[in-house]
Amino acid sequence: MRAYIAARLATAVLVVLGVSIVSFCLTFLSGDPAEIMLPPGATAEHIAKFRAEWGYDDPLLVQYGRFLRRAVQGDFGVSLRHGQSSLPLIAARLPATLQLTVTAMLLAIVLAVPLGVLAATHRGGPLDLLAMGVALLGQSIPNFWLAIMMILLFAVSWGLLPTSGRGGLAHVVMPAVAIAINLMALLTRLVRTTMIEVLAEDYVRTGRGKGLREVIVLTRHALPNALIPLVTVVGLQFGYILGGAVVIETIFTWPGVGLFTIQAILNRDYPVVQASVFILATGVVLINLIVDLLYVWLDPRIRLG
Amino acid sequence: MSNNHPQLRAIITRRALPRVLLLFTVALGLAVAPVPDPAAAAPTGEVTIGLAAEPNTFDPHLTVGRNTQIFIVNVYDGLTARDAKGNLVPALATSWRRLNPTTWQFTLRKGVRFHNGDAFDADAVKFTLDRAINPETKATVSSELSTIARTEIVDSFTVNVITKSPDFLLPVRLGELYGLMLSPKHTNAVGKEGIATRPNGTGPFKLVAWAKNERLVLEANEQYWRGAPKVKKITVRPILEDAARIAALQAGEVDLISPIPHVRIADLKRNDKLVIKTVAAPRIFHVTIDVRKPPFDNVKVRQALNHAVDANAIVKSLYFGYGTRLATVVDKGALGYDPTIQPYPFDPNRAKALLAEAGFPNGFETEFDSFTGSIADHAKPAEAIAGYLQKIGLKLKHNVFEFGAFGPRRVANQTAPLFIYSIGNAYLEPSWVIRWLTQGGLGMHYKNAKLDEMLTRIEATDDPKKRAEQYSDVQKLLRAEAPFIFLFQADAVFGMSTRIDYTPRPDETQWLYPLGLKK
Repeated sequence: MRAYIAARLATAVLVVLGVSIVSFCLTFLSGDPAEIMLPPGATAEHIAKFRAEWGYDDPLLVQYGRFLRRAVQGDFGVSLRHGQSSLPLIAARLPATLQLTVTAMLLAIVLAVPLGVLAATHRGGPLDLLAMGVALLGQSIPNFWLAIMMILLFAVSWGLLPTSGRGGLAHVVMPAVAIAINLMALLTRLVRTTMIEVLAEDYVRTGRGKGLREVIVLTRHALPNALIPLVTVVGLQFGYILGGAVVIETIFTWPGVGLFTIQAILNRDYPVVQASVFILATGVVLINLIVDLLYVWLDPRIRLG
Repeated sequence: MSNNHPQLRAIITRRALPRVLLLFTVALGLAVAPVPDPAAAAPTGEVTIGLAAEPNTFDPHLTVGRNTQIFIVNVYDGLTARDAKGNLVPALATSWRRLNPTTWQFTLRKGVRFHNGDAFDADAVKFTLDRAINPETKATVSSELSTIARTEIVDSFTVNVITKSPDFLLPVRLGELYGLMLSPKHTNAVGKEGIATRPNGTGPFKLVAWAKNERLVLEANEQYWRGAPKVKKITVRPILEDAARIAALQAGEVDLISPIPHVRIADLKRNDKLVIKTVAAPRIFHVTIDVRKPPFDNVKVRQALNHAVDANAIVKSLYFGYGTRLATVVDKGALGYDPTIQPYPFDPNRAKALLAEAGFPNGFETEFDSFTGSIADHAKPAEAIAGYLQKIGLKLKHNVFEFGAFGPRRVANQTAPLFIYSIGNAYLEPSWVIRWLTQGGLGMHYKNAKLDEMLTRIEATDDPKKRAEQYSDVQKLLRAEAPFIFLFQADAVFGMSTRIDYTPRPDETQWLYPLGLKK
């Protein structure tokens, strides 16, 4: 087990390093920050001076060497736009993103599990049809569209929720729903499929045969086994959720990592983009590791090594 | 279009007159410092504003983009300022004059204090300007202050700014654009990172809280030298998405928003709880023509291109009429804009005839660059322009870049012979725009000795009235020479609730001092 974790951590470091290289090259290819940073009247001479001051006129390899040397010390450089160290700037926005993504995940799970179970136990019936209809709808609705529709309906027309920003609990409702909807749909279908499989297992038949109540069969015997794949999928979807959060945070001006990163990309604030990619990649890798470990704990038949 | 309007000339003249009178008064040193009126009502109430972008910093030397410059003036003052109509007026300097071609003398206002109580004087001016031009500051705005050689203190309330070459625009530069004054003691105490979020200016508002991406809170400076502002507390919420920003206004969460996409104006105007105001923004759209490359070295070809594009139709369909067709690259808010100079009429037949006269009866092959993802939408007008040019027989290859990819091509002079661009005339001075557009680099290669001579003469003229007159000939020359396809300027759009009273300024500055609540 310990060897497994060590190996996984080593891979994680390699993955994060790889992602950093890719993000470095992509930002390098996407153009120069000079033109966005400088006032419109800047001439070629001023642009050249700016590039020299910030080291953007060095060859790619020299820039990458400098980037790597600093990055291993956790220093991604000073934000061109904010004039502050970029890693703390990103870290300060993590709680907002976590609040949003964790709420969205919980919301998706809380809705998906009962819907999936209902669909599986009423397979082919109207309840199954309804649950699958909801899932199909949830999977097909573009979340940015849903976000704007919710704003118009719940905030502008009915005045029930605030239009955007972060504040009390009311602020988190619409952005969380917008992020949760796709995941909820995916999980509903997954729970339904695994539940149908599990319900056909011998131990379920045995349980029913020895006269257990259906509720006990479902909640004690079937559901825990059906939920094991859910853990994997939720873990794997974390990266996807963060991606969705970028869009949704922008629409709702939710002050998280996603919004900050989008602004940094638009403003070619490379140190911030690189710090953000580093933190997000680390987060995704860690979550995946945790999921794998959870898996062993949930299903002792699985051996790691 | 509006510049065919018979009333406009009268408006321009009426506008120019006070500007001229005022500047003259100032130049003669007759301006009297306004004293805060103790009888004026104390600031009351709160207003919330939704803006597409918040400032990147409150360090005036490290600002990035217009969005920052047009906002942080609420906390600071420059030596000069602009009034509601765009005229240059005294601020921390009560008067200024050129002692010789490279020396500007500013007489400073007495009795002004920074928010923390520090006194404003010549030391502050020297400290601020020295900091701006010090390479260690790595000022993002250094290009705009690059003419400054040094600042000399004459006495506590008089400074001389010596420029490397004659710079008639210095009083404008040292105004709200790049001349916001810092307190030496505070700036040294908080350091470079500190000043970004803890500004100490002399302006009408104090920054009391700022959570980036969330909210920024301004509080009235009751000791402001112009008199206290009307509103006590202003909260600024950055709301990136157009739809969310408009929704916040409709839901009553905010009282004022900007910008608003032109396509939404008609719909929002129908809402009687909202007021929509527009003002011509000084961003000048044009297509740059590489006059060095045949056939564009032929003026008839360039004129043909100008006849080919229906810029009025573009303003009408893409901006829903909220824009102004321009005859040249001089915008209608700029000094000396001459509304009598008519834009090239849209006339494809005339365009074809001119091409035939130039020896291209069947058109020719060329390339046209445009881009997406910059501060303003250039992609949609470019699509229309490409269509118009194809209609007169040009076999056009239209390249669409991402702005980040287009920028380096322009810096390396690797653009196509035709490319769309726009320049914001923050100085409201045509010579600044034309000099930039004819700099001989960044893809802009038009040179004309006569134009250069005219501009040099204008730049040696300190009296704006005399400058304004001379700009007519410049515009006539530009129109005839057609080194660009002249296009339009679009209106900036503001939405507000009926409880506030606010008039947007023509130079884009989000000046909140006159903002008030209706009784």
